Amino acid sequence: MQDSKVVVGPSRYEGTEITTIVRAVLRAMGTTLRNLFRKPVTVHYPDKQRQYPSRYRGLLALTYDKETGEENCIGCRLCEYVCPPAVIKVEMLKGEKRNYAKAFTLELYACEFCELCVQVCPTDAIVMMKSFDMPTADRREMLLDKDRLHAIGLQYEQSWATGNRLRDMQTPPKAPAPAHAKPAAATAAAPPPAQADTPKPEAAV
Amino acid sequence: MMAALPPWLTLLIAPFVVLNVVIGLVTYVTLLERKFAARMQSRIGPYRVGPHGLLQPIADALKLMMKEDVVPTAADRRIYNLAPIVFLIPCMLIFATIPFAPGLGVADVNIGILFFLAVSAMEIVGLFMAGWGSNNKYALLSAMRAVNQIISYDLPFIFSALVPVLLAGSLKMSDIAAAQQGSLLKWFIFYPVIGQLAFIMFVVATLAAENRVPFDILEAESELVAGFRVEYSGMKFALIQLGEYAHMIGSSFLGALLFLGAWSGPGPEYLGPIWFLLKAMFMFLVVTWIRWSFVRIRVDQILALSWKALLPATLGLLISTAIVVVWRTSAGF
Amino acid sequence: MLDQSTVSRVEMDWSGPERLTMNMGPQHPSAHGVFRAIVTLEGETVVAVDAVIGYLHRCHEKLSETLTYAQYPSIASKTDYVAAMTSEFAYVLAAEEIGKFEVPKRAQYLRVIVAELQRIASHLLWLGTWCMDMGGALGGGATIFLYCIRERELILDLFEALVGARLLYGFFQVGGTRYDIPDGWAQKCRETIDVIDSRVDEYQRMLEHNAFFLARAKGVGIVSRELAQDVGIAGPLLRGSGINWDLRRNAPYSSYEDFDFRVPVETDGDCYARYRVRMAEFRQAITIVRQALDKLPSGPISSRPALKSVAQIRIPKGEAYARVEGPRGEVGTYMISDGSAKPYRMKWRGASFSNLAILPHIIPGHKVADVVAIMGSVDPVFGEVDR
Repeated sequence: MQDSKVVVGPSRYEGTEITTIVRAVLRAMGTTLRNLFRKPVTVHYPDKQRQYPSRYRGLLALTYDKETGEENCIGCRLCEYVCPPAVIKVEMLKGEKRNYAKAFTLELYACEFCELCVQVCPTDAIVMMKSFDMPTADRREMLLDKDRLHAIGLQYEQSWATGNRLRDMQTPPKAPAPAHAKPAAATAAAPPPAQADTPKPEAAV
Repeated sequence: MMAALPPWLTLLIAPFVVLNVVIGLVTYVTLLERKFAARMQSRIGPYRVGPHGLLQPIADALKLMMKEDVVPTAADRRIYNLAPIVFLIPCMLIFATIPFAPGLGVADVNIGILFFLAVSAMEIVGLFMAGWGSNNKYALLSAMRAVNQIISYDLPFIFSALVPVLLAGSLKMSDIAAAQQGSLLKWFIFYPVIGQLAFIMFVVATLAAENRVPFDILEAESELVAGFRVEYSGMKFALIQLGEYAHMIGSSFLGALLFLGAWSGPGPEYLGPIWFLLKAMFMFLVVTWIRWSFVRIRVDQILALSWKALLPATLGLLISTAIVVVWRTSAGF
Repeated sequence: MLDQSTVSRVEMDWSGPERLTMNMGPQHPSAHGVFRAIVTLEGETVVAVDAVIGYLHRCHEKLSETLTYAQYPSIASKTDYVAAMTSEFAYVLAAEEIGKFEVPKRAQYLRVIVAELQRIASHLLWLGTWCMDMGGALGGGATIFLYCIRERELILDLFEALVGARLLYGFFQVGGTRYDIPDGWAQKCRETIDVIDSRVDEYQRMLEHNAFFLARAKGVGIVSRELAQDVGIAGPLLRGSGINWDLRRNAPYSSYEDFDFRVPVETDGDCYARYRVRMAEFRQAITIVRQALDKLPSGPISSRPALKSVAQIRIPKGEAYARVEGPRGEVGTYMISDGSAKPYRMKWRGASFSNLAILPHIIPGHKVADVVAIMGSVDPVFGEVDR
C-alpha cells in the first residue's frame, strides 16, 4: 500500500500572462461554439417518446394469466407486508380451488417504485409497466383500485421484471443438473449475462 | 424623404417610429438570445409557443402585463415607483443619436458619441434608485456593487469608443460611419492593430457596463437572487428588463457603427439599415456567446481588472491612436 | 437566532461600516438543497457564518428500526440521493458484517462497478452545480451545468437499463445485489465511459486555465492540513488538503484491493485543489470500471436465497460499523442488531454532515461571492446532512 500521489495535468498555473488568458478564453468560447453545432439532445415529449429499457419501473398493474385469462393475484398479501411505505392494501377472498383478492388498493401517490412487491409476488400478479404516464389534477385519481390496476396492465407494455424472473436472477444456483434447469430461464452453468432475456430480448439500453 | 415634411411633424414621427421599432427589436432579441444560448447548451430554446417559439416574447409581455403589482410595505414608494422609468429613459434616449442610414436618424447631433456615452451612463441613477427604494438588503448590496462597477468601467468604455472618433476625426456618428464606407478594409475593426485592440477592449467594457457575465456580479442569481430587481414584479419588472436589453442593443448598434462600418455592405443603398441591423445582431451574439461561456468573477476582481488593467490599456491605446493619426496626416496619407 | 456557542467570529482590526446580518435562506438558488446560513457581513466581507440545518430531517434512523433488512436498502438511497448507490452500500455492508455473510465475487464486482459509476455521476452533478453557482443560472455556469447533466443522463440511462430506476435504486441487498447485468450492458457501459472520458477532457479544457475560473477558485476556502485533521472531514475535502486517505485503499471493502487505481491528493487546500482532486477521481473511477468489466467473474449475484418475504433476512445479535468511500467522503452505518428481522438501532454517519463542520472555520474573511464557491466545493447533499 504505497503512497499514491497523482498530479493531474501540467504543474501549478502561476501568473496571469496575457497569452495564457487569451488562449484559455478562446478555448472556452470554442467549446461553446462547437456545441452550438451539435444536435440538441432534446426529446420532444410527448410527441416523441424515448426508448424505455426493458426493466423500466413504471406504473404498477395487476395481470391476468395468459392461458386461462384468470386473475393471477391469489390475495396472499406478501406485497402488502413488504411494501416499505405500506401503500398496498389487500383483502383475500377464499375460493374452492384457489384464493383471490377481494379488494386491492394501491396508493400510487405514495408509492416509491422500489419493485419490492414485484420481487416477492409468487404468481407474477403485480408487475410494473414501461410507462409512467398518469398525469392527474386530483390526487384521488392516483388511488388505484383493483379494476384500475387491471386496466393499466392491459393498456401499457409490461416490464421484463416479474417476480419469478427477479428471483431466478438472484437465486444462487444449485449443483448443475440439467434435469433441474428451467427451459426458459438460464441454466446454472450459463454465465449470467446471457440469462433470462427470452422471450422478450431485452432492449437493454 | 424626411426633408419633405414640416420639421415639427418629423420631430413627432421619427422618435415614435424609432421607439416602436426598438421596443419590438428588444423583445425579439430576448428570443434570439434564448435560442442561441439553448443551442450552445445542446437543447432547443422556446419551441411550443408559436412556430418554433416565435410568439414567446409576446406571451412573456402579456404575462408581465397581467401580473399583480406588488409593492413592499417598507419600500420608499416614490423612489421605488420612479426607478424603472428613470432607468428606462436613458436606455431609450441613446437611440436618438444613432443614424440608421445616411440621413435616417432622429437627431444626428454634432456631438453624437459624447451624448450617447454620457446618457447611457445615467442609467446608474435609476439602478441605484431601484436598489434603495426596494428596502431590501439584497437589492441594496447589488445596487452598491452596480454603482462601483459601472463607474469603474465607464472610463475604459469611453476611451475605447474614442479610438474610432480619433480615426474618423469627428464626434458626429454619421461622420464616423461615412469614414468607413467604400470597402471592407476601411472598417475600423480592420485598422492594423489599433482597430482590433480597441474592439476587444470595447467589447469587454460593454460587457461590464451592461452587467453581463463575466461581470454580472450585481445580479448574481446564486447569491443575490436577481439583485436590484428582486422586489419588482409585473410591468415595472418589464420596464427594467426592457431598459437593460435596450441598453445592450444600443451598445451593439454603437459597436457596429464604430467598428463594423454601420450601413456599409454590398448591394443597393436601401439595404444599408439591414446590414446595420445584422452587424448589430452580430455584436449582440458575440456578447451572448461570451456570456454563456464563462463563470463570473468577484466584485473586487472586477474592479481590479478595470482600474489596474483596462483603464491604463485603453488610455495607452488612445494616446497611441492619437500619435498614429497625427503621424499619418502629417505624412499625408 | 444565532446560537452563540457555535458561531465563530473573526475580529477585523478596523471598525469599518456597520455589520449587516444577512440570511442566505433555506430556499436559495444556490442549488445545494435546503441550507440556511446566517452570515454577518462588513461591507462585502463575511465576518461570521452560522449554519442552520435540519430542514430535510425525515427520521431515517428511527425509520430503519421499523423496516426490515429487506425493505430498508430501497429507503437508504434517499439519504444521499445524488449518490444513492453508496448509501445503500454502507447499510448492507454493516448488515453483512454482523451476520458474517459471504458476498459472491460477482456481486462484489458489480457493486464496485455501480459505486464507481455513481461516483462519476455524482461528480458530474457537483461540477455542474458548482459552476452554476459561480456563473449564475443565466450565465456561463448554466452552460457547463447542462453539459454535465447531459453526460450524467448517459450514466442514468445505464442504471435504468440495469435496475429500472434512474435516481433511487434499491440495487443492493443483504448478501449480494438484486439485479444482474442484462445483455449488451457491458458493451454499452464501455461506450458510455469512453464518451464521458472525452467530455471530461472538454470540461477540463474549458476550465483548467480559464482566468475567470481560476480567479474564483484559487486561494479561496483554504483548508489547512491541521484543520482538516482536527475537524474530521473526509473525501475530496481531505485529499485536497494533503492528507492521503481513501477508504478504498486504506480499508478496502468489496474487492477494491483487486483493482489498480491511484488516489489523487493535492496539497493546496483551496477550492481549486479540491476541483483537481475530483477531476482526477473521474479518471480513476473510469479506470476502475474498465478493469471491473474486464475481470467480471461469472457466478451468482447473491449468497442468500432470493427475497420472497419481508422478514426473510434475519441477522444474529451483534453490532458493526461499516463504511464506504462515497463521492463526498466517508458514509458509514453503525448498526446494532438484536437477532430479529429489524435492526435495533442504526446510525448514519453522513459524509456531508461532518464536512459542513468546516464551514465556520474557512468562510470568515472571504467575500460574499466566495461563500457559494466554497459551499460548492464542499459539495454537501442535504439528504445526508439531515437524514
